[in-house]
Amino acid sequence: MGRVFITGMGVVSSLGFGRKPYWEALVEGRSGISEVSLFDTSNLPRNLGGEVKGFVATDFMSEQEARRMGRCSAFSVAAARMAAEDAGLTEKDLAGERTAVVVGTTMGEANVLGELQQAWIHEGTEAVRPAKLPRYGTTLLPIHVARAFGASGMVQTLPAACAAGNYAIGFAADQIRSGRADVAITGAVEIIEKLEYAGFVRLGAMSPDLCQPFDQNRKGLILGEGSTMLILESEERVVRRGATPLAEVGGYGLACDAHHITRPHPEGEGSISAMRQAIQSSGLTPDDVDHINAHGTGTAANDAIEAKVIREIFGDRELPVTSIKSMIGHCMGASSAMESVACVMTLQTGIIPPTINYETPDPDCPVHVVANEKREAKVDVVLNNALAFGGYDAVVCFANPGRLPEGTGEAAEGEAS
Amino acid sequence: MRPLAITGVGQVSPLGLGVEALREAFADPEAAAKRAFEGEPEVLTREKFPEAHSAEVWGFDPNAHLGDKGHRNFDRLTKYLIVAAKLALEDAGVKKDGKFLGALTPEQVGICSSTAYGSLDSITELNLVAELEDPRYINPARFPNTVINAAAGYVSIWEDLRAPNATIVDGNCGALDAVLSCETHLAHRRADAFLVGGGDVITEVLYLALRRLGAIAGGSAKSAPGARDSQGLHLGEGAAYLLVEREAEAKARGARVRARLRGYGTAFDPPKRQARLLHASSSAVARAVRGALSDAGIEAKDVDVVCSAASGLRPFDGAELSGLAEVFDGTAIAAPKALWGESFSGAAALGMASAVTWIEGATPGPVVVGEAPSKVETVVVTSVGYYGNVSAVVLSS
Repeated sequence: MGRVFITGMGVVSSLGFGRKPYWEALVEGRSGISEVSLFDTSNLPRNLGGEVKGFVATDFMSEQEARRMGRCSAFSVAAARMAAEDAGLTEKDLAGERTAVVVGTTMGEANVLGELQQAWIHEGTEAVRPAKLPRYGTTLLPIHVARAFGASGMVQTLPAACAAGNYAIGFAADQIRSGRADVAITGAVEIIEKLEYAGFVRLGAMSPDLCQPFDQNRKGLILGEGSTMLILESEERVVRRGATPLAEVGGYGLACDAHHITRPHPEGEGSISAMRQAIQSSGLTPDDVDHINAHGTGTAANDAIEAKVIREIFGDRELPVTSIKSMIGHCMGASSAMESVACVMTLQTGIIPPTINYETPDPDCPVHVVANEKREAKVDVVLNNALAFGGYDAVVCFANPGRLPEGTGEAAEGEAS
Repeated sequence: MRPLAITGVGQVSPLGLGVEALREAFADPEAAAKRAFEGEPEVLTREKFPEAHSAEVWGFDPNAHLGDKGHRNFDRLTKYLIVAAKLALEDAGVKKDGKFLGALTPEQVGICSSTAYGSLDSITELNLVAELEDPRYINPARFPNTVINAAAGYVSIWEDLRAPNATIVDGNCGALDAVLSCETHLAHRRADAFLVGGGDVITEVLYLALRRLGAIAGGSAKSAPGARDSQGLHLGEGAAYLLVEREAEAKARGARVRARLRGYGTAFDPPKRQARLLHASSSAVARAVRGALSDAGIEAKDVDVVCSAASGLRPFDGAELSGLAEVFDGTAIAAPKALWGESFSGAAALGMASAVTWIEGATPGPVVVGEAPSKVETVVVTSVGYYGNVSAVVLSS
């Protein structure tokens, strides 16, 4: 029982590898969006993506390890290794049964499946190499990470679409609080894959040029990719090893719209519930929240509903809201994990990264957007929003260490396991 | 873990629909196993796959359960899961004829659902269009089905369940890992009841992949879960949900407590060789089961029967039986996949549903180690993943 702290963060992103370069780019308002080079987009009316460039798996793992996994797993192992190093932990420190590995995603190793299916479709079953088949399992994401450290306890994959990062981080924190683990490697991962890209184009959800969250002229999202892994540790473990926590994981809220598979609830009912739960389970009131890292996809429906939800809970308060999807695109399952790094770094530095491409305020999005330039502010408590496909809503609260009341995020009295 | 009440069971399988169909199957497992593999398959057709033995959900008519509107673009897994959810909610007295009866509201009921390969069918369907025609022609109404959590998302919409919805993908272990998800969220009062389980369906590409890996017992090859001379598995499909609540509140609303979830354990053990991925680990089986027993506060001798994950895939069955032998001394081990084939998350969910019927008086079977107990109070259900991950759950009366 007790508090759960973030002690390390690892990032694979279109803006660089590791939390430092990633954060510097976010603060500068640099865009990671470029023309997609992973596959041919010439027959599609869109060609932009927040693609991870220059990723060499063997910079983060042995050739033998790299050979047994796809791009998605390689991102997560790389992010996990960077997170461990950031936390000052060796592989030995993360080995054993008391380390949980919980990873979120939307599509997992989609390109492994894509390659297998291309071989099958064009050349027949015999062209499919049996040795490649086992590389597809979505559950491999945490398993590859666990193998990298010798972790031998819980390995879980939570595919909660665009809320997967928050689902994973919240659930991993729960497992530490309930005593089922002492430390967790958790986060999420996503890659841009051909079928997924074409599907979003066909849904009419993709912008042809810019991602402009909360802007009146926003034209849609731009897909991105990447991975963030966090090291979460129990308070007792942090104290024992004398580690310096980066931030505390507060409570989190989950709800389901039960409304439409791709569109948000028109009144934002699920989102309101998830945000309120995140605040209440952190022992806070809305007035205690200093900043919101928004889901902010840049689609007409999401941003308007999210803005409405924020107004519903926080009223007219000048609460700074930003969406880093304007810079890295919508990294799907990974997005809220990628955004958690921004939340933690904002807590650490007092700097809120900008929402770039913000040109024209939208009366339907009456929130206080951190427009185009970073802003300095005193931030002790931040909410990370994720409002996903399937009506999955998940909001996580992060805070500066010691800022949250005792008992934050713990199970209700008498019901803990 | 604090015991949780199971107040409803819903299942869709080759044995039929609803908990009664399971009970009937255990009354004569031999006849049930025969029946499960005897129909005229629609997926692995005899014309295309003459060597295949598969257990489909025979004669499933979605219109009979869902009406004739609103589900045209749902995939098969979504339909199975919705029907399993409907049956579980009705069995628990939460809903009737699609309406909440009042004891629980939409905001109080959530979903912890698992699937191993749930979106594979839809991904394949769209990949065929993208590869053979043009990506611009893929059907946007079918695209959502390619996302893994779509099926559980549709369940929430169809049944109007607004509490947290979590999808878990841990290969064969997902349905048992959904128990941990449920326990966690109930402890935090994020909901008052959860549908817990999952499902998987037979697909052509999944069959082809498993056949290419040499996992399928085709033609005259023998598939006998738990037997030393088994030559592979037979594919099956199905979905099952338990309706799980905090016990005191379930009792307060006058619900019938069919059985209890008492403990959960999980373990992962990597293969020794770096290059390997597939791994059958007896030590992970033993650790996961011991963890579940400890979580339940009981000992191995308190367990009446194990509902194993044995599928006919010899290395995995062997590792499981060997791991169970480390923990148990003569306790009966059942291998019910003989009745519905290997259906991954669906099979583990059906395992938990079966355990409920055993606790309520059905005879466990088919038993591959020891003898079926005359009375069952405590069951351990296991699931064994292909990558060295294992989970186990304890259910009791």
